[in-house]
Parts: sequence; C-alpha cells; structure tokens
Amino acid sequence: MISFKLVRRNLTKHKMRSALTIASLMVGVFLLCVLKSMVVALESGVAGAKRDRLVVQSAASLFIGLPLPYQQRIAEVPGVQKTCKWCWFGGYFREPKNFLGAFATDSDTIFDVYPEMEVIDGSIDDWRKDRSGCLIGDLLAQQFDWKVGQTIPIISANYLPPSGDAWQFTVRAIYKSESSAVDRRTFFFNWDYFQESFEKVMKRTPDTSTIVMRTKPGADQNEIMRTVEGFYENGPQRVQCTTEAAFQAQFLTMMGNVPFLVTSIGSGVLVAIALACVNTMLMAFRDQAHDVGIMKALGFTDGGVSGFMLGQSMLLCIVGGGLGILLVKGLEPAFMAFLGSVFPGYAVTGRTLAVAALVTVAIGLVAGVVPAIAARRLRCVEALRSVE
Amino acid sequence: MLVPLTYNLRSLFVRRSATVLTLLGIGATVTVLTGFLALQAGFRSLYTQGGRDDVVIFMRPSSTSEGQSLFLREIADRLIKSSPEILAVGDAPPVAAMETYFAVRKQKAHGAGETNVPIRGVQPTSFQLRDGLRIVEGRELKFGSDELIVGRKLIDRMAGCNVGDVIVLNLTPFRVVGIFEGPGACESEIWTDFDRASVALNIPWANAILAKLRPGTDFKKLEERIRSDKETPAKVMTEVDYLRSQTNALGMMLGLLGSILGTVMGIAAVFTAMNTMLAALAARTHEIGILLSIGFRPFSIFVSFLFEALLLGVLGGAIGCLLALPLHGIKTGTTNWDTFTEVAFAFRITPEVLTTAVVFSLALGLLGGAIPAFRAARLAPTEALRRR
Amino acid sequence: MNDAMIRARGVKKTYTRAGETLTVLDGLDLEMEEGHFYALMGPSGSGKTTLLNLVGGLDAADEGELIVAGESLADLSGSELAAWRAANVGFVFQAFNLIPVLTAVENVELPLLLSPLSRAKRREHAMYALTLVGLEDRAKHRPQQLSGGQEQRVAIARAIATDPKLILADEPTGDLDRKSAEQVLDLLVRLNGELKKTILMVTHDPHAAERAQRIVHLDKGQLGRVETRAAAAT
Repeated sequence: MISFKLVRRNLTKHKMRSALTIASLMVGVFLLCVLKSMVVALESGVAGAKRDRLVVQSAASLFIGLPLPYQQRIAEVPGVQKTCKWCWFGGYFREPKNFLGAFATDSDTIFDVYPEMEVIDGSIDDWRKDRSGCLIGDLLAQQFDWKVGQTIPIISANYLPPSGDAWQFTVRAIYKSESSAVDRRTFFFNWDYFQESFEKVMKRTPDTSTIVMRTKPGADQNEIMRTVEGFYENGPQRVQCTTEAAFQAQFLTMMGNVPFLVTSIGSGVLVAIALACVNTMLMAFRDQAHDVGIMKALGFTDGGVSGFMLGQSMLLCIVGGGLGILLVKGLEPAFMAFLGSVFPGYAVTGRTLAVAALVTVAIGLVAGVVPAIAARRLRCVEALRSVE
Repeated sequence: MLVPLTYNLRSLFVRRSATVLTLLGIGATVTVLTGFLALQAGFRSLYTQGGRDDVVIFMRPSSTSEGQSLFLREIADRLIKSSPEILAVGDAPPVAAMETYFAVRKQKAHGAGETNVPIRGVQPTSFQLRDGLRIVEGRELKFGSDELIVGRKLIDRMAGCNVGDVIVLNLTPFRVVGIFEGPGACESEIWTDFDRASVALNIPWANAILAKLRPGTDFKKLEERIRSDKETPAKVMTEVDYLRSQTNALGMMLGLLGSILGTVMGIAAVFTAMNTMLAALAARTHEIGILLSIGFRPFSIFVSFLFEALLLGVLGGAIGCLLALPLHGIKTGTTNWDTFTEVAFAFRITPEVLTTAVVFSLALGLLGGAIPAFRAARLAPTEALRRR
Repeated sequence: MNDAMIRARGVKKTYTRAGETLTVLDGLDLEMEEGHFYALMGPSGSGKTTLLNLVGGLDAADEGELIVAGESLADLSGSELAAWRAANVGFVFQAFNLIPVLTAVENVELPLLLSPLSRAKRREHAMYALTLVGLEDRAKHRPQQLSGGQEQRVAIARAIATDPKLILADEPTGDLDRKSAEQVLDLLVRLNGELKKTILMVTHDPHAAERAQRIVHLDKGQLGRVETRAAAAT
C-alpha cells in the first residue's frame, strides 16, 4: 500500500512544477465548464418552454407579421384559453449596443398566457391604464437602474416614434419570471400605443410578429394547430403553428454550428491540458526513477510502485480539477451578470460539473498511465545505477 | 559573448519527448486561435470586399440594418426624386433602386434544420448598382414575372434552390430561373422582383434605397442634408460603411471567442513550456556551472535559455499554423447577428492572421521561458557545480 | 621570476546551511608561486574546494584579501570577474566536465568563444589543445562516446585552450580507474613542466598528491603544513 504521504511529498518537493500543472488543469476545467454552460444557456429557451402554449407566426418569414384580425379567430378555436400578441419592436436604449428584447403586447391577457410572470414592483393596473406605460423584467431594471415611475427614451430600429427621436415610455411595473421561457430582461408595452403611432406614420394597421395561445388543460394541441393553419392556407398570410419549444428551437438551429463549435472547442482545450499533465508526469518519472529503484529494492511490488506514479497523477488532477470546478461555480453569479444579455440562462448545472469531474479523472488516468507502466517495468539495478 | 545556438538546438533535441509535448501544446493553442481568426477574417472579408464609397444606402435614422428600416413607397420615391446628388445620365431615370430585404424560412441541405435565407426584392437599377454581378447558370430575371435568381453560395448550403425549383412565398410559387455570382454577401441572397414580392407577401413598403452618387459629390453635405430633413426622417451611409457595420455583432463574437480560447489554452501552453524549461534547467544545472566557470556571464545564460524558449514558441507556432492551413477555404455559414439572416462564408487564413498567430506563439515562448531563464541566470557557480 | 600567483591574507568564508552557520575558512594566509604544481589536501570539510572556488573567482570571500594573477578579486565586479576568469583560469572538475550535447572539439572551443578570435582561429586553437592531450582523432565524438579518462583529458584541453596562467583542478582523478588517473596526472605534470602552467589540484588521494611539487595541507579552515617534493618536479 502506497502511503498518501509519500505521494504528497513528491509533489510538494517540486512546488513550481506541481503548481503550474494544477494551474493548467484549473484553467482548462474552468473553461470547459464555461463553454458547456454557454451551450446550456443557448438551449435554455427550449428547455423552459411551457407545454400548454402554442405560437402562431408567418409561415413565410420571421420578418413578416400576421394581420390583426387573425387573433380574434384564433381565440375562438375550441380548446384555446387565452391569446396574446407579441410584436418585435427592435428597441434599444441610447445606442444599438444596448439592444433590448422589446415587444408591443396585450396588457390585458399577457399574464393569463404567461402565469409564471409575477409583478414585484409597481402594478399591472397602472401599466394597463397608462397608454405609454411599460412592464420590464427585474434584471433589465437592474442593468440600467430603472425604477417604477421613471420615463425612459427607447429608440426603435424598425419604427419611427410618434414624435421626436425616441419613443417615451414610463415604467409602471417590474416583473420576475420563474421559467426561462420568459426572459427576465424583456420590455413590454401597450399594443394600443404602438398601433396608434404606426397608423400615423405608415397609414395602415400594423401586423403582429406572433400570436401566442394558452390551451385549456386536456385540449388536443395537434388539432388546434391543424385548425389554425387550415384557416389561412389560402391567405392572406399563411401561418405556421408550433409548440413554444419548437418556436424557441428555431432560433437555436439558426445559430447553426455555434453549439457544435463551442463544444468541439472543448476538445482543443482538453488536448492542451492533457498534454500539460502528461508532460509533467513524464518529467516526474524521469527524476524519480532512482527513488523507484530504491523502493523496489526495499520490497515494494511492481503494482505498488506503479500505483505510486498513478497516485501522483491523480492527486494533481483532482486538485487542479477541483479548483477549476470551485472557480466556475463561484464565479457563476458574476458570469450570469456579465454574459446575461448575450447568453441569458447561463447556468452551471450539476451535469456540467459531473462531466468536468469525469474529465479530470480521465486526464489523471491518461497522464499517469505511461509512468505507471514504466515504473512497473523498471529494473531495480538499472535505476540505482543511474546517478546523474 | 553568447552561448552558441547549436547548444540550444541540440539540447531541445536530446530531451525529445518533453520538447515534442511542449510543441504540441503550443501548436494546438495556435491552431485553435488561427481557426477563429480565420473564421472572423472570412466573415468580415465577405462584407468588406465589395464596398464602394460612391454608392450609398438610405435607411430610417434609427435602423441598424436595412431589414429593419421601413419606407412607404411614396416616401421612398420622393426621396429619390428630391436628391440631386444621385447620378442621372441624360433622360435616363436616376441610378437608384428601392429594395426590400427580408428573410424566408428554408430548409438547409442535408437535413441540418431550418434557417432564414435573405431575399431581396430588387428593381432593374439594382443590377447597375452592383459591380460584377452576373448570371452563371440559367438566365436573368424577367421583371413582372414571379421569378427568382439565387446567389451561388446558397446552392450547396440550402435545399431546393436550383434552377427549375419552385419556392413558395406565402401563397405564390416563384420559380428559380438563374444562379448568379457577385461581390460580397449578395451571393448568399435570393433576388426577385420588388413589386412581385410585395404583392406575394403583402408588404407594401421598401426597406432601403440604394443609389449611385454623381462623381464629385460631397458625401458630408449629403449626409447633413438628409439628417436635417425633418419631413422625411432618414439617414444615409456609404456602402463601405454600411457593410462594415453589418459585421459587428458576429465579427466581434468570433473575435471574442477566439481571444478567450486563445488565452486559456495559451495559459496551459505557457505552463507546459515553463515546466519543460524548468526541467531542462534542473537537468542542466551542472552544465550551467561549467559555462559560468569558463567565464560566460549570467546574462549570456539568461539569453541562451530565453532563446531556447522562444525557439519552442516559434516552432510550436509553425506547427500550429501548418495544422490550421487545411481549414483555409472550408465553407461554413451561420446567422449574421446584425441582419438576422443566413450568410455563407469560408475560413480565410490571411497574412494578418498568420502574423498574429506567430506573434502569439512567440509571446507564449517568452512567457514560458522568462522565469526559468531568470532562474538559470541567478545560479551561483558553486551551487551549480555541486553534484545533486 | 617567482612572483606569487596566489596571495591570501586573512581569508574567511562561512556558509549557512539549514539554519546553521559553518565557518569553512577561518583567517587563511597563503602564498603560492607562479609556475609550480601544488596539491591541496585535507580532511573532508577542511575547505579545500572552497578555497579553490575562491581562487577561481567562482565565489567571494567574506573577509580578507585575495590576490590572484595580479588582481585583487574582491575589487572586481561580477562581469569583470567572469572576464578575468575567462582569460586567466582553466577549471577541471571531478565529474561531468563536458557538455553532453557538444562534441569534444566544441567543448574545447567553448572558452574561446569569449575571446575575439575568428571562427577559423578558434578551431585551430581547439584542435591544438586536443592534440596536446592526445585526442585529436576524437574531436567529433560526443562525451557519451568517450571513456572517463578521455573525457577528463578533453576537459583539460578545454582548460588550457585559452592559454591561462592558472589551472584549478578539483579531484580530477576521483572518478577514474588507476590507468586513466595516471594518464591524467602525467598530462598535468607535462603542462606544468613544459608549458609552465601554475596548477592547484585539490585531492584526497596521496598517490595523486605525490605527483605535485608542493603539498599544502588544510585543517579546519587554516593552513597546516606545506611539503615540498623536490623529487617529483620537472
């Protein structure tokens, strides 16, 4: 049985080398977890989708909207509880880099269709009563330090404001959401205000980007989807109706290769840190050959000395990997704030950590296997003769 | 006087396995970095290739991309007619075109999912506004008919875009009659008649106006005039500036990802290099003692070790670049985050990319070798000569 | 002229190791004349190697005066010492004298790199030194390909390559078999006799010491007796 103390002593004898190897591992494992968490973020919209919601959008293009009269007809389909329309506003605050997820929506039905939204400041009624009022997510309020009662100018990339250079909205309520289907950085405002301003400039009624419906419990969703699509098979604007999950997923496939790219980069990182560890273990073996010879002469078995080398490798990797895991979990809140706008839903899941732990152990084994075998094979006499 | 270079070269060779591992570590890092930089370069060059500064684009003031901007047809018409800066030869109409730019859902080839392919509704003058656009298969668009011509890059990436295929826009079938090639990103687009598209999709507006300026026009004055026109809110940009602005989001993201990865992997590579050099130092301590006893100065020892580390860096960098070279020209594509449409581009390994990669690898070598070199130089001759 | 090649006055040297302070040389007074072959003997810990290192400028005394080849070593800065060493001293150690990745002639050439000689001249001098020690046909061999004795002779060739006045040898025959040791000692005697080099050799082997002209004994960091061996000269 190889003593843990012996293993540990050998590693502390070469502090710099051990420290560097541990540091490489820590940094590598940290990055792997961050990458995986970013993928989790990208997929979170899909993961959090509610099963009782269906989304209606134009079958032709994401850029084209649905005529308003559609909503009435859809609402009357049996099995539909409530409907709510969302129109992409293309809003940003001061500069394009502060792009928001901003939507004109139905203030009277949104909370029925999205029961997971909860108002934590201000009131729904205030918002409904104020034409130019807005409802914002708590993280958005935090990001720009907006408070209930404050008037904020929002520029729309798509729509000219009713006057001046920017649309003026007053914050009337702040919400929090439990599921990732509704992002906590979204900006909602009253449909009527939007319609009024649009009609003045474009001289026609606006279309809406999507119509979301909440189905009654036990309703046949496939039937509803078929019915709605059937209504408009011959126009004026053909539609497609999907579950909320499918709707979110379409954004993911548009990203194309990004999730794949991000995950495959992980392999590159793995290669780099595995190499660092293998290098270290080979060096360790080179200057411990003499010691191994002595151990064998004293009576340690082949299995024992090879376990000794493997033990060093595992200890290095476990410490390094462990530190990396601690670091990524510890920095999770900071990253959520920092990456929140680009990767909302960033989270270090238990699964990510499990994968990281597995990877660490695997590297420990890979790095330790060659010196372990070499130690096993080492002939006592030769090793003792090699005085540098 | 400096320690001979053959000494360093041979020393690296003698400790082959450690040297190889270090080179691989540095090489892998450089390959990944080069890959990302090549992606970024490929993406950016797509847009910056065709830009000219005598062609301008008119959009709504707050739009960041032409797809967001909306002009009623009459307004667009008025804008063209009231701009003397636009080139008009004799009786011919001004060289300007109203265009719509939107996306259509299409399936990617090989069942890779759905994406948004850009469709541009064009007028006859649109062809005059692009240098080098020509039909390579099939025939030209016939205005007044429901026809499409497809950009060359889409053929491989999308399903059902070949000559003879029919693409249904909303309810109207459009037939693909030709394939075209052209400058910049237009090869990722499908073109059709502006009027026919408006009818089929029920979109009675223009997104942007493209125009060619009279030679000698003062762009600044034009920009000022458009900006101060309160009646028709609009802005004007040169094509060059516009195209560059469309690479911001994705270009930056690619650069950011590349930098982060390069940094993290670089750290691991530096640690590996440092470990290797420290081991070399430990093994050659006696040699250093000999050199010092002969009369070489500590500074020469320092330079010698640093040089060895730089050599590792450069060789590793060369390996990394060689490994990355096969990427050059590989086609890929993703959603352009500024236009929200699919764009196809290829990896491009430019001289700048290679230079960055080499400088990076030198930096890795330098960082890895600095501390060991410093330590080597601080060795006291008597300590160094003492046997281990 | 028999000028003092080495003059030591009140030289003190202490070491601190693991918290303990050891006084290795305690007020040493010593004089060694030019052109003589000295053996330095004494029990382990008596300071022989330390004295050698001080004389060669590899280390600095804590107190006292040390004048070697006309220079007061305490007055020289680090880089001046290095330059002085390159010009005036040739070292031979007990083991691992040579740089494993360089060939024999490249090893001999090393100290010549510090001189302003051209490449061709350097090669010439190095080959000459190798020939002196009888190993010109091994010029392109690496240390691994040479026997212990041959390695040591190459080391000696290197030590004389720049034609220094002083050769310092620390247990040069310690790792060698009898026959090789004799060869090395013969060589040293020749260098002293024919080329008039001053040699200071640290040894614990009385047999090796017998080949020197003078034997200096060190005991507890101080000078002990000095024997003169008239019979072993020239």
